[in-house]
Amino acid sequence: MTKWTMVADLRRCVGCQTCTAACKHANATSPAVQWRRVLDFETGNFPNVGRTFVPVGCMHCSDPPCMHVCPSTATGQRADGLVTIDYDICIGCAYCAVACPYQARYKVDEPLFAYGGDRQMQNEMVREDPARLGVAQKCTFCSDKIDFGIANALTPGVDSEATPACVNSCIADALHFGDGDDPNSNVSQLLVENATFRMHEELETDANFHYIWATKAQEGLAATDDAPQPSRGIGGVGAAAPWLQQHWDWRAAGNFIGGGTGSGLMIAGAALSLQGAPVGNWPLIALGFVSLGLFLVFLETGRPLRAPINVFLNPQTSWMTREAMIGAILFPLGLITYFLGSADLFALAGLAGAVYLYCQARILTEAKGIPAWRHSANVPVMLSTGLAEGLAVYLIAGPLLEQPETTLQPAIAAMLVLLALRTIAWNRYVGAMAVDAPAATSEALDAVHGPFHYGGNLFAMALCGIMLIWSDLDGPTMAIGVIVLVSGWVYKYSLITQAAFNQGFHLVRTPEKGGGTGPGGKPGWGSPD
Amino acid sequence: MARNNAGDVKNVATYCYQCVAGPDLYNIRVENGVATEVEPNFDAAKVHPAGGRICVKAYGLVQKTYNPNRITTPMKRTNPNKGRDEDPGFVPISWDEALDIIGEKFRSVRAEGLRDEEGFPRLAASFGGGGTPTSYMGSFPAFLSAWGPIDMGFGSGQGVKCYHSEHLYGELWHRAFTVAADTPSCEFNLSFGANIDASGGVCGVSRHADARVRGMRRVQIEPHLSITGANSAEWVPIKPKTDAAFMFALINVMLHERSREDLDLFFLKHHTSSPYLVGPNGYFLRDRETKKPLVWDEMSNRAVPFDTPDIDPRLEGAVQASGYEPGADEERWDYENVDCMPSFHFLVENVREKTPTWASKICDVPEETVRRLANEFVDHAHVGETVIIDGRELPFRPVAVTLGKTVNNGWGGFDCCWARTMLACLVGALEVPGGTLGTTVRLNRPATSRQASVQPTVDGFMDYPMNPTDAEGWNDRPANRNAHQTLVPLAANSAWSQALGPTHLAWMLQSETPDEFPEAQPPDIWIVYRTNPAISFWDTGKIVDTIAKFPFTICFAYTPDETNHMADVLLPDCTDLEGLQLIRIGGTKYVEQFWDHQGFALRQPAVEATGEAKDFTWIATQFAKQADLLAEYNNAINQGAAGVRLQTDTYDFALHPEREHGVEEIWDAICRSASAEISDGADNKGLEYYKEHGFRTKPFSRLNWYLFPELVDQGLRFELPYQERLYRVGKQLGNRLHEKNIHWWDKQLAEYSPLPNCDNFPALWENALVDNFDIDISDFPFWLLTSRSMQYSWGNNVDIQLIKEVADNVAGHGGVVINAAMATKMGIENGDLLEIASPLAATRGRAVLREGIRPDTLLMVGQFDHWSTPLAKQFNLPSMNKLMPMLFDLTDATGSSADLVKASVTLIEKTA
Repeated sequence: MTKWTMVADLRRCVGCQTCTAACKHANATSPAVQWRRVLDFETGNFPNVGRTFVPVGCMHCSDPPCMHVCPSTATGQRADGLVTIDYDICIGCAYCAVACPYQARYKVDEPLFAYGGDRQMQNEMVREDPARLGVAQKCTFCSDKIDFGIANALTPGVDSEATPACVNSCIADALHFGDGDDPNSNVSQLLVENATFRMHEELETDANFHYIWATKAQEGLAATDDAPQPSRGIGGVGAAAPWLQQHWDWRAAGNFIGGGTGSGLMIAGAALSLQGAPVGNWPLIALGFVSLGLFLVFLETGRPLRAPINVFLNPQTSWMTREAMIGAILFPLGLITYFLGSADLFALAGLAGAVYLYCQARILTEAKGIPAWRHSANVPVMLSTGLAEGLAVYLIAGPLLEQPETTLQPAIAAMLVLLALRTIAWNRYVGAMAVDAPAATSEALDAVHGPFHYGGNLFAMALCGIMLIWSDLDGPTMAIGVIVLVSGWVYKYSLITQAAFNQGFHLVRTPEKGGGTGPGGKPGWGSPD
Repeated sequence: MARNNAGDVKNVATYCYQCVAGPDLYNIRVENGVATEVEPNFDAAKVHPAGGRICVKAYGLVQKTYNPNRITTPMKRTNPNKGRDEDPGFVPISWDEALDIIGEKFRSVRAEGLRDEEGFPRLAASFGGGGTPTSYMGSFPAFLSAWGPIDMGFGSGQGVKCYHSEHLYGELWHRAFTVAADTPSCEFNLSFGANIDASGGVCGVSRHADARVRGMRRVQIEPHLSITGANSAEWVPIKPKTDAAFMFALINVMLHERSREDLDLFFLKHHTSSPYLVGPNGYFLRDRETKKPLVWDEMSNRAVPFDTPDIDPRLEGAVQASGYEPGADEERWDYENVDCMPSFHFLVENVREKTPTWASKICDVPEETVRRLANEFVDHAHVGETVIIDGRELPFRPVAVTLGKTVNNGWGGFDCCWARTMLACLVGALEVPGGTLGTTVRLNRPATSRQASVQPTVDGFMDYPMNPTDAEGWNDRPANRNAHQTLVPLAANSAWSQALGPTHLAWMLQSETPDEFPEAQPPDIWIVYRTNPAISFWDTGKIVDTIAKFPFTICFAYTPDETNHMADVLLPDCTDLEGLQLIRIGGTKYVEQFWDHQGFALRQPAVEATGEAKDFTWIATQFAKQADLLAEYNNAINQGAAGVRLQTDTYDFALHPEREHGVEEIWDAICRSASAEISDGADNKGLEYYKEHGFRTKPFSRLNWYLFPELVDQGLRFELPYQERLYRVGKQLGNRLHEKNIHWWDKQLAEYSPLPNCDNFPALWENALVDNFDIDISDFPFWLLTSRSMQYSWGNNVDIQLIKEVADNVAGHGGVVINAAMATKMGIENGDLLEIASPLAATRGRAVLREGIRPDTLLMVGQFDHWSTPLAKQFNLPSMNKLMPMLFDLTDATGSSADLVKASVTLIEKTA
């Protein structure tokens, strides 16, 4: 077998960005798109400061999160390990971009030129590629060169015609490329002779990008139990610290708001109808919310015309595909329930809604690039808030729809239970984020803590208690609903657009440059940046 | 999209010499007539020190070709008023009209006389980039040669932006226009601010990366953690401009704490002037008969001429000897049995008080660090070991000291360069394998060979083409507006010397005339190519105002910029990928260009010229025609003005002097001559060969990397530690100036001492500002510095989007770098808008918080502050250039200053 592997020697790299530029030439990427780039890391405090240059890009993981989440199968993996993107299939949902913990993926929706506007230069004209618009793109390890090389009996990593442009260009001989499965290859030899790390090993991506930080002999001399140092990166494209993801915006948040509320309402409505409440308009209202969410996220896809078909292509691993498929069941089931007014069918629709809600929670946990999303503690929050939001709609609209009193009281009781669960889930989640997420994520969650926890949970629970004692007032019932609904929506909006800082980068060890090696740093994770 | 392999695709071999760390070789990929990619030239991997690779700057050349902001037709100014706030009103014109305008000017100036009433050349020219523009200006040097006297003294950055003291003293002491470590075999490199990993080009970066992995220990001593500091074994954050004290303390440890036996005493005795006896008046005591300096032979116990065979020269201890001591001008003292000391004694005494404890307070570095590094230096020197290079046994001393900008220029530059060279001498590590080496010569001749430039003096030193200071020879009427021949003997008078005078003087003289000095008028014509002094010089506000007063300026213009904003005619020339030229490559060149081969490389049109852009050789020919100088121009080409002589005893490809020759015809003749030269006359392959192959080389012996063998062969010594010659020259220069009643250069004369004094240079800077601006220096608590950017330096590429994009990945390109703790103390956060003010002016930029900078230091990477150049004028980046005053008080004896100023910081606006 072949496994194409990149090795970056951190002792050599000077951060000159020649590889960055060479990649931009070889792959004709748009302005601000850098499939290969070099980060500028600072570790420690004055005067004991280290500065390390770290090339990054697609790590061509053996277990690539981007591929697993892709709903269209556009992201694939070749037999030789290369992680690929089929521009003709990709729907441009950018799920892969938030799933990648190396921030390696880009999406460009409109043609961009170096000098702005419509000032396209001749070289940009010659290399223009409309197929790349609106879809995900990333480093290919210059697969066209590899394939050319293989076809012409050349050895990638040895023969320049068959070697990625960044490796060819490197003026410090810091980048090496070859077959990691061949024990005699250049890269295998480097890995045998040197101490290396892979970035974000704990995320189990099995990256095929290794960083040399010392020789094997020096590795034994280095202390390994010292704590990571405070570290600093820089802003902009070359940032090392986590930055707020820009791939999913309010429209994606809208899908979690609409989808969560709608599916929650379908479940709540079904549950209450099993208690004897009328089916009424609830299925239709629930579908309305789900539709609104899907419409919003449809607006965000780069290739919306392909999306309705291609989103169904990866049920094996993509929770986005699974959400779409269960959605495809939920809609007819909900409509039939509405038309027939059947409580039994409503129960089935509620079940579908539950699966839909679960899919939404799992969509987030599979986004490995976003610590605020991927943590398992977020699942109970997403589930409990979805249910609470659905029930909240019931409480708001119930009095308006002249829902029988007998159904509202159990609903308030159920809300009290749900909010108690939501409170427990939230506290667990916030506690996890304090240690398992960038500092900026915690700060963003702090900002939402007031309205969500004190308002949406505790205050609403108190109101529920009051209502269970004095049950003849419509106003407070609706107020509970509004508070719970708004707080849940604020949380989701914040989760997607305010707290969604990406993984950033991690220098596991500072390289040996003659002065010893030390613990590296993870800018933005509990330290200044 | 992925590369297009269909249609007409070709790779064109060419060279890049955008910066002084080149030239390097690369290929340009051309798809259907359009340049798309820059790639290494792996065909050159075996001959090029960095394996045929090219640095990031070259990758900007595709955009440089197609940049929509490019000027693509000749233009003329329609607004007669000039100034920053005046719209030039440039309108396109034909080449015929442009050449008519220029030709008329040329002819009228020549009719008036080549020099004005005060003797200054009427034609001036400025070229940037440390001489690299000559690799892009085709046969234009032949036009300049044909013209006659030209004032090239208007600097565009020299002095503050170059290794000025290193250039002058380096060439004097070891034919080192610049200095490098012998990186491939060096073990320990003390680097005082030498930012080799950012400014060393592809050869510097690759050699140092190899050395680092091999185990070379590089210690970076500088106020901020540069790219090079980042890749060093250790960073020592020294207070700005105190490097001399650090180095003096290193010498102190070696001379006063280490055993003499740890030093290379043989080298000191036989390869330096350490044993030369010094008379009571500070000059060498000489043998009356041979005029040679005397040394005390321990074997025969008597004073003998230094080159007496089989002697053991004494290094320390008083002796009595007879001889004579020639001083300045006609001074002469004769002695019998006078008490005198070897030069080495004065060295020992000169650093006696310069202890690590003393340096620690000045440099703000722990004394144990200074002591440890001195001991490491000695311990790594391998004194006594040898190595075989190309069959010859040479000393092996793998320790080197290298200096960076602001260390090796301006006040203190002399002290640092001397101390650096002295450190090498103490362990015998000068110009030997592993040690401290010179790279190339620019002031001595011939420029093609350091070895051939070594000519002996009676003192046993290498001769040096000082500008005369004796009463008969001194040039009391400056030949150009920076008076390099009049004021700076060390600047010599080669083609490069004008650029190495006090170039700011040329600008200063336009608004003030020092006592007893001729009043300088603006040049009648000023030609500008690949430089933008309105941005790159110091006190840029004043430069802009001065340029606006120049009556007729011709700018070779790529895009509008801050200098050509004041031009009368703009001319578009072919850029890197469009023009034709053959240059020399290989051998040893600046920075870290040490090759095992030498030869020639061609830059050829990979793509059609854009718009009306013309090849520079065509332009030069038209200029020559317009100035009625065609024959002189052709003859200058024949004599080698375009890089290769076309006529020697062994070959003759000379151009007919009276005829106008086409661009390809000219370069074909040059290519044939180059082939004849490189093959010793065996063949004469022409332009077609070079177009196909790109380059041609022959082996270059590594022995040529080292000057030591040449000195041994000629029986010469390094002129260290004692600077008797400079002492005399300084005295004579003082005599000449004082005879003319000129006293405004007296401070500079003090630098001509036999041994440097290691003054308090930070105080010198502060006092200069206090004296000239009547300020309280405590209002300016920070030292403001700059640092080279590999992406931008020398590249004329500030308007290339790709360069901006990738440079922004490197910290510091976004604003002003400030120590994070200091910033926090001042309430400043990343991205806040700051105003940085010097006593002269203020600039604004965003705060970049970093740990790797001293709390008393600020850093502005590169040079920005553009207000006319497209793209760059949107950067809103600060520049220290406008903050630095041009002052005599800040001008050293070589005519340089340093990129350094005191500054204040004011928070203007918090980031959103």
